[in-house]
Parts: sequence; structure tokens; C-alpha cells
Amino acid sequence: MRATRRPLLWTAGVALLCALLLFPFYWMVVTAVLPTSQVLAREPTLIPSLADVSLRAFAAAFERKPLATWLANSLIVTVGATSISLVIAALAGYSLSRFRTRAQELTGLTLLLTKMLPGSLIVIPFFIMASTFHLIDSLFALMLANAAVGVPFATWLLKGFFDGIPRDLEQAAMIDGCSHLSAFVFIIVPLARPGLAACAIYLAILSWSDFVFAKTLINDQAHWTITTGMVSFIGEHGIDWSALMAAGVISLAPMVVLFLLLEPFLVSGMTSGSQK
Amino acid sequence: MPATSTRAPRRGSLARRERIFAYAMLAPAVVAVFALIAYPMYLIVAISFREGKSLNFLALGSRPFGLGNYQSVLTDPATWHSVYVSFAYTFGTIVPAFLLGLATAVLLNRVFPLRRWLRSLILLPWAVPGVMVSIVFLWLFDASFGVVNYLLRTAGLISADVSWYTNESTALVAVIIPTIWKSYPFFTLTLLAAMQSIPANLYEAAAVDGAAAWERFLLITWPGIRGQATLALVLNGLWAFREFDIIYAATGGGPSKATETLGIRAYNEAFGYFYMGRAAVIGVLMLAIALVAVLLARRQLRKEFF
Repeated sequence: MRATRRPLLWTAGVALLCALLLFPFYWMVVTAVLPTSQVLAREPTLIPSLADVSLRAFAAAFERKPLATWLANSLIVTVGATSISLVIAALAGYSLSRFRTRAQELTGLTLLLTKMLPGSLIVIPFFIMASTFHLIDSLFALMLANAAVGVPFATWLLKGFFDGIPRDLEQAAMIDGCSHLSAFVFIIVPLARPGLAACAIYLAILSWSDFVFAKTLINDQAHWTITTGMVSFIGEHGIDWSALMAAGVISLAPMVVLFLLLEPFLVSGMTSGSQK
Repeated sequence: MPATSTRAPRRGSLARRERIFAYAMLAPAVVAVFALIAYPMYLIVAISFREGKSLNFLALGSRPFGLGNYQSVLTDPATWHSVYVSFAYTFGTIVPAFLLGLATAVLLNRVFPLRRWLRSLILLPWAVPGVMVSIVFLWLFDASFGVVNYLLRTAGLISADVSWYTNESTALVAVIIPTIWKSYPFFTLTLLAAMQSIPANLYEAAAVDGAAAWERFLLITWPGIRGQATLALVLNGLWAFREFDIIYAATGGGPSKATETLGIRAYNEAFGYFYMGRAAVIGVLMLAIALVAVLLARRQLRKEFF
């Protein structure tokens, strides 16, 4: 990375580009806090005055739609799918990192190929399977569907982490009489905590974003997730944009927080990967 | 002698225990892959040979077996229209997204104040769910009250409002733009990482030799990131090729199939018309196209993954 001759000018330039790229976020917030008369205007106010700002649209969104229920469903599915995927992937990732047999390579390759599968395709058999087992409208089925996408992805990510932890550590413990499993649980897992955290955040963002599984596997409005709920605003006659954007801000807030926690790791992970 | 005879079996049993441990750790993933991926994939292929339309998904197995679905899907001009839309959507997305990612990566690959914050903010659209991306852009590009039409009207670029999402000739562009917005951060991230692994002394030497900025980019930066750039293009291309959420939430494939990519078409056949067999054939076709792309790029992919 190089120094610049005029660092402040550089900052100003990047900040300007950044403002342009983030305009959709800005407009979302502006729409959410302005009264309808200013939102549905032929000449919208690009920079609103603070006096016009109100949080009424947020209250309206919660009153008109069961947003709280949808957010809770999304939270349940996200936590469930993330936990299932993380445990399975941590075990498999460690196994792939430390042992190399034919079975390991085959599983690894299969996991990699599944990253190519389109969600709109795999949802067809999921729907048939869920119908067979009477799991339509079940949040548990939705967790499993999300885990099907999460496991392959997380296994590869975690294998990379475990590769970076020297084998000497668990071997020393095993010479001292520790079983391999307890060496994994008590020595490797604590060391891999940053990697596991990053992986969990990544998985959570994936599950929270899911739309195709939630749309197909859940019919009952009481079991919808926030993504299906948000899309249901669109079909309506005369969309209430302020309420929709307010709901959007609420549903996005946790993703923005998670992303800001994940971002330093994403960059350093990518960098160390390319320097191998 | 006794020492070796006791050590040998112990070592043997340790190796066996280790092998069992290795497989036991892998077992949950294998079960998950079989139940949640391999078996569903088998179902797709099996369904693709079952002809006819069925509201009763459980009775699919009793429907006639044959190549009828393949014949009807592959001779349907609508299928080839969807292939065209898929490619137009994929390339229409990844080329501008790549250029935007490259530009942002070049800008961020310097030392300047607030760099870390600006980097986070530039990457932020990556974390927005596809459905939310769609909803925000539906509002930005709204025909009557959208800010984009307002700005274009003010700038004098259009005289009447453009109905971006309901007009056949603009709908594809209107779903491509949000897709670019969601996918450029991936390019920023991978290209920035690649640029940071280029040794700084190459640039110092070039500066001593008096190389211009564009020469430094073409002769140092580009060769240094080419491998990563190709890989990122392939991965993002595969992602765009199977993207569903953004298009479905915005247009559902319409108007008059103008945005009906293969993924959308498969979904509509399955859950709109209940032709599960035809949907499965489209799915098989998508996988075949993705597989060809992977085979073409296998050298880059192997470098990354193995």
C-alpha cells in the first residue's frame, strides 16, 4: 500500500464516491422519517430539515403489519441455522484440515460443488421433502434448509482457520494423555474463536437474507420471516413507502452491525489467503 | 524385544483410533450433505423424467417416466429466451460491478485518513439481503415519486416519467442496477486483497523510472491482480447466474418475461404452474451451464481451492 501526496484530498474523493454509493441507504432513512406529503411528492426534498423528521412511520409499520412476529421468526431461524451449521462445519472443517484420506477429499469436493447450486432449484426437492414429512410452515424445516446452504460454505471457511493453527499444540496435549476430542474441544476451539465468530456472523447474514426457502416452505403468515413479510408490502395497491422503508431500516440494522463486526476480518482473511 | 512388541500394537491402535476420530468428526457433515444436498439433487434428476403436471407432489413417482420434459423444455423458445436473459443479466451485472470494484479497490489501496471507515462503508451493500436491495431500488426507480426519475427530469435527460420496472425495454436494466450495487463489494474486497500483496518496491522502482500512473497500473497492478480478478469474475458470474431474490422481488420475471432468467423460470414452472418435471429440467440445464463455466475456469479455481 502506498502513501499519497495529498492524503486529505484523497479522503475527500473517496468520501464523495462513498456518499454516491451509499445514497440508497440515505434515501431509505430519509423516506422513513419524513411525512407522506413530502415522500409522495413530484419534487422530493433531497436534504430534509430536521423539523420535519418524525418516527411515525416506524410506529405505523408495526401497527399495520406483524413486524415483531416476523422479526422474531427470522431471529429464531437465524440462530437455529447458524448454530446447526457452525457445529457441523467446525467438526468437519477440523477433520478436513488434519486428515487427508480419499473420503475427506471426496466430501471436500462435494461441499465445494454444492456452492454452485441455485437456491431456486434446491427448493423444489426441499418443498417435496417438507410436504412428505408434514414440515410445511415449520421453522425447523426452514433452519435445516438454511443449514444446507451454510454447512458447505462454513466448512471451507473453517478448514482454512484450522489450517492456520499449528498441529504441535494438540499433539503436545495428546502426548500428555489428552484424547484427540478433548484436545479439539479444549485447545483448538478456544484458539479458533475469532474464526468461529467470523464464520457465525457470515452464516447469520446468509440466513437472515434468505428469501426463497422462507417463501416456499412457509405459507402461514404467522410463520413468515422478515424477508417474506417485506415483499408482501410490494404487491399491495398504493404501497406505503414510508412504513416500508421504516420496516427496512429495522430489518437492516442488525445486518449493518454484524457486518461492521465482520468487516476487518473479511479484509484480513482475504489478504492472508492471497499471500499464501 | 518386549519393548518393541508392546509399542507396535499400541501405535497401531492409536492410528485406528485416529482414523475413527477423523471419520466421526466428518460424519455429521456427510449426513447433512446426503440428506440436504445429495438426495435433493437425486430428486431433481428423478423428477425431470416424470411427465405431466401434478398438484399432488407425493404422487410424482407414479407419473409416466420418459424424456418428454426434456423434449418440451428444450424445444420451447421461451427456454432459450430465458437462457439469453440469464446471460444478459449475468454479463450486464459482472462487467460494471467489476469496473466499480476495481475503481474502489484502486482508491482504497492508499494510505489516507479515515481509510478504515470508508472501506467498511464502501463494502456495506454486500450485507444487504437481496430482497431488501430490490425493495429500496423499487422505491428509488418508482415511476411517479422515485428520486431517480426526479433527478433525470431535473437534469433534462427525460421529458416523461420512465416506468422502469413495468416497461419491457427497461425492466432488465432496472433489475441489473440493484444487482451491480449488491455485487461490486465482492470485487472491491478480492481485488484490494490482491493489490495489497503486490510488493511496494515495484511501484518505487517504477516511480524512479518515471512511469506514468496508467503505466504503473497496466505494468504492475494489473499483472499482479489478474489471477484473482479472473477468479472473482467466475465466482461472481456464477452467483449472478443463479440469483433469484433480487429479480423475483422486483418483477417476478415480468413484464412479458423480460426479466425471466432460468432461475426465475424454474421457480415459476414449479410453484406457479406446478410443472415440477419441467422445472427440474430447467434446473438441470442451469447446472450444466454452470459446470461448463467451472470447467473453463478450472485452472484458476484449482489454484484457489486445492
